[in-house]
Amino acid sequence: MTGRRRLGLIAAGSTLLAAAPISSIFESWTWLAQCILAVGFVAGAALGARTLRFPVWAQALSMIVVLLLALTWMFPSGHEVLIPTPRTFEHFGDLFTQAGQDTRQYAVPVPDRQGLLFVTVLGIGAVAIAVDLLTVVARRPALAGLPMLAIYSVPVAVYVDDVPVLPFIIGAFGFLWLLVSDHVDRVRRFGRRFTGDGRDVDVWEPSPLAAAGRRLGVIGVAAAVLLPLLVPTISGGLLSQLTQSGSGISQNGTGAGGGGRINLFAALSGQLTQTGVTDLVKVTTNDPDPYYLRFGVADQLTTQGFGSRPPSGQPLDRGLPDPRVNPDVRYPQYHATVEVSDNLRQNMLPVYSNTVKVNDAGGGWSFDRNQQVIYSTRNTTKGKKYSFDYVRAQYSPQLLRQSPPLPDGSPLLNAYTATPPDATVDNLVKRLTANIRNPYDKVRALYNYFAKDNGFSYSLTTQPAGSSSEIASFLQNKVGYCQQYAAALAWMVREAGIPARVAFGFTKGNDRDGTTYTLTNRNAHAWTEVYFDGFGWVPFDATPASGVVGSSRAAYAPDVDAPTPAATGPTAGALPGAVPSGGPSAGDLPQRGQGDLGGSDLGGTGAEVTSTKGLWSVGIAALILALLLVPALRRLLVRRRRHAATAPSAPPAVVSSAGAPDLVVTATSTRAREDAHAAWDELLDTMTDFRIPVDPSETPRVTAQRLIKDAILQTSPAEGATLLGSAEERARYARKPLQGAELTSALTQVRKGLARSANRRTRIAAVIMPPSVLLRWRLALAEGNTRLMAAGGRFGEKLARFSPRRLLPHRNR
Amino acid sequence: MTTPTWDEPGGPMPTEDFRAATQAIMANIEQVIEGKSATVRLALAVLLAEGHLLIEDVPGVGKTKLAKALARSIDCSVRRIQFTPDLLPSDVTGVSVYNQETRDFEFKPGAVFANLVVGDEINRASPKTQSALLESMEERQVTVDGTTYELQSPFMVIATQNPIEMEGTYPLPEAQRDRFTARIAMGYPDPRAELAMLTGHGAHDPLNDLRAVADAALVRRMIAAVRDVHAADAVQQYAIALVTATREAPEIRLGGSPRSTLQLIRTAKAVAALEGRDYVLPDDLQALAVPVLAHRIIPTADAQLNRRTTDAIVAEIVHRLPLPHERSRSPYDTRNTGGAQYESRGR
Repeated sequence: MTGRRRLGLIAAGSTLLAAAPISSIFESWTWLAQCILAVGFVAGAALGARTLRFPVWAQALSMIVVLLLALTWMFPSGHEVLIPTPRTFEHFGDLFTQAGQDTRQYAVPVPDRQGLLFVTVLGIGAVAIAVDLLTVVARRPALAGLPMLAIYSVPVAVYVDDVPVLPFIIGAFGFLWLLVSDHVDRVRRFGRRFTGDGRDVDVWEPSPLAAAGRRLGVIGVAAAVLLPLLVPTISGGLLSQLTQSGSGISQNGTGAGGGGRINLFAALSGQLTQTGVTDLVKVTTNDPDPYYLRFGVADQLTTQGFGSRPPSGQPLDRGLPDPRVNPDVRYPQYHATVEVSDNLRQNMLPVYSNTVKVNDAGGGWSFDRNQQVIYSTRNTTKGKKYSFDYVRAQYSPQLLRQSPPLPDGSPLLNAYTATPPDATVDNLVKRLTANIRNPYDKVRALYNYFAKDNGFSYSLTTQPAGSSSEIASFLQNKVGYCQQYAAALAWMVREAGIPARVAFGFTKGNDRDGTTYTLTNRNAHAWTEVYFDGFGWVPFDATPASGVVGSSRAAYAPDVDAPTPAATGPTAGALPGAVPSGGPSAGDLPQRGQGDLGGSDLGGTGAEVTSTKGLWSVGIAALILALLLVPALRRLLVRRRRHAATAPSAPPAVVSSAGAPDLVVTATSTRAREDAHAAWDELLDTMTDFRIPVDPSETPRVTAQRLIKDAILQTSPAEGATLLGSAEERARYARKPLQGAELTSALTQVRKGLARSANRRTRIAAVIMPPSVLLRWRLALAEGNTRLMAAGGRFGEKLARFSPRRLLPHRNR
Repeated sequence: MTTPTWDEPGGPMPTEDFRAATQAIMANIEQVIEGKSATVRLALAVLLAEGHLLIEDVPGVGKTKLAKALARSIDCSVRRIQFTPDLLPSDVTGVSVYNQETRDFEFKPGAVFANLVVGDEINRASPKTQSALLESMEERQVTVDGTTYELQSPFMVIATQNPIEMEGTYPLPEAQRDRFTARIAMGYPDPRAELAMLTGHGAHDPLNDLRAVADAALVRRMIAAVRDVHAADAVQQYAIALVTATREAPEIRLGGSPRSTLQLIRTAKAVAALEGRDYVLPDDLQALAVPVLAHRIIPTADAQLNRRTTDAIVAEIVHRLPLPHERSRSPYDTRNTGGAQYESRGR
């Protein structure tokens, strides 16, 4: 096989390797099978075209045609037989549209959607063609990295915060493979390849140049993987994701029909679990105890969980509907000013519920009456400053209890009580609401169910609640955070026949300066809203107050975990005297400290996170430092061991050498031999450290002489070197080794002498990065590598026995 | 005359006596050959190693003089053969002649029956005559007419030859060259030594003033002392490795024989003893590799075309070959791993 054709196959292989990052996008591996087929077809077409010596344009054309045929075969419209017809292209267009919709509706990892698969296969196939043309035709494999990078940019765009590392490594090695193959092929074109010291031809042998290349490649990949971990994360990424989903909704207009899972949940969990703390919103209000700032709603419940529908409504300047629907409820009016930081870019305006007037919002913002959401199709909240008036509805249990059940034919019932079938939830709700007629009492019964006493606990580490089954499993596991609580309560309320939905926004946070609250990504929150006839949407926050910084409770929905008897039963709500009406019921409880200023156990999370981040960076720095010191440490240990061996500790040795030299105990002479060897090893290592070459073909005597000559050793180091040389020589070759010699002090002398004659850089390197240790490790690595390669070669030879080529007659090799 | 057997050369010898004897011999020779102590020492080492010496150099540098000085320094039987093209094997080995009185054939020993045989211009004799030496040099015996005659101990052939003159010479056969333990070149003397030579040789030949400072018995004892020198396993392995390397080197058609390994070790022992050591160092082997190995090997035609002398090839092998380690493999021995050898070579 000629180099060109082989290179084409390698280009295809490395394209597939570079496609590894796609794996983080799909739930299953269907895409891989299809991509392998498509890339295989493309590579086959290229191979065929090159075998038939097509011109370059024909090669490119054949690859494109084959890719088209493969796409037609894999994604048929049903009206063609392999040959694409105009209807096929219409079908492709549909698939494109479908993919566009899917990208907006599905959070990663996505299931196998035809549209997405089509786009993936098309993209990878196109990349394969580009890589092939760049590598084989243009002979510019380095440029082929660009299309490969395009593949990698897909998960980067989707996973803004946390891109998987492994696929990147696989892709990078694919690219390196391509580069290496191209260069080997390039060298081959000059003739047969001499790999080593002129020793052999076309045989794998270690050559320093190739080793350096391999090392550079590995170091490059490692640096690319590790360095970003050290660089502080760029914040706000997740929020842009939120923005994307939002704008997707508004542009989409028609809606997704089925209502896929929308990214609000994912964005929320992302914000909460993000390592850094970013200020998002600063709100100033004259409300002494404001409720949650709110911007989004998820009101469609399917088997895939809660999802949003695209908001639709009238521009803000046409005025807002009056939320004061119930004459019995007090609606004090307040004013609030919001400053959104640059980090929050979304197209839904955070406001308090029951907004009556918005000022300075600028054009392009509309109000959705159903969702009570202010949204824009064009603008984002980035850096926005606006103010608004709102009324704070002060419900009480008595008032809410007056709300009758909705009449059967109410459109709200149809829209907001649909639930996916789930026997567990059904039974649970039936059990909890048995014998309760009043809607409010039913909701309270369900609300109270999420108490600590029932085994629920707050934890951010769980999976984000997505599909209905995950919500159901939350009800089993009883460990979760706000989005699970909110979704589960909303579902159960719906199951009980009462309209409910999930609202998204911010808690009051823990950073309060007078009337100004600074809200961060840690204050992102979700809660449940329940519709009561005659009252409108009433918020219920089932998440444990201890888990949420700046949570707020009203008398109609008190903290179920508060140790007051008033909050334990559904009937307790009927005793408004137990808690100050309208005030923050839980706010005064000793457990939560003063107000909402972070008295709870999680109150300090923000500060802790910052300090842990600092600790982390210090720790990582210390780790790197420690890793850097490992060679020096290793060298020190080795030297200490050898010095311990060479230290003149054995008096019998001295006696025997001074007294009767012929009467040497074997054990002592063995010992003396080992000592001399240890001293000699140490001397060689010291020489390596000071960059004096060590020649394996030199005798100890010659080495010592060279050391004295080259390193210009003065009197006592020179004597030391001579002594070490003769000790080693006698230990190796004489009947009796040299005994009782002061090898340790000789070593020290030589070391000092070498240090004197070396320059500063060498001296420092000898201490911090001793070349002897590095050399040893490198050689061990190289040896392992060689062994591996040799094993690979043997394996390849064995495989070659099964090659069908050997059946071809008259074919040498 | 009691001929001591080859396996019992003599009694043990104290180190001081050995040193005194060797120094006496060397000082004696150096009266004649000035400024060539290394060559003289090597010649003596070959004698003590029970080997034979081939002195190869251009005419007039003192080859014969060295041979004669060595012979004169030792009080033993010395015979000189001037190899000429018409010399016959029987002139070397001896011949049986018919004795009229006894009416029987009587063996007349040839020139080879002596302790020291100086063969001058050995390559001027025909290969037939050269071959007469083969048996005596290796087996230390001569077989004539079916009778084997033992030679005396010590027995050493010192041959000289002229490498430049091709006219009328027969190159030594491979078997013959292999029997010579070492080949040494005299080299030109340095100006100072040449001046001293002019002053000294002007009046009379100093060779005539040489007195014997040792006798055969002493040499036998010295040989015994040399045999006693310790060659560690590592050294023996190194010798084997050196010779093996000559067999495997791509530039060499014919490498060293097992006999050469043996002679290498023996000579190294002698050199070690001359230096007052009772153990052999790889340094000795390295120093001896060229004189002991270079004349035996035959370079390939390529190497000859490239004007690579065997001396250079052997020297390069010595330089390249790592020392064997009785311990675990040295990290600096990078023959099979590549990489580091490039750093350690760059000196």
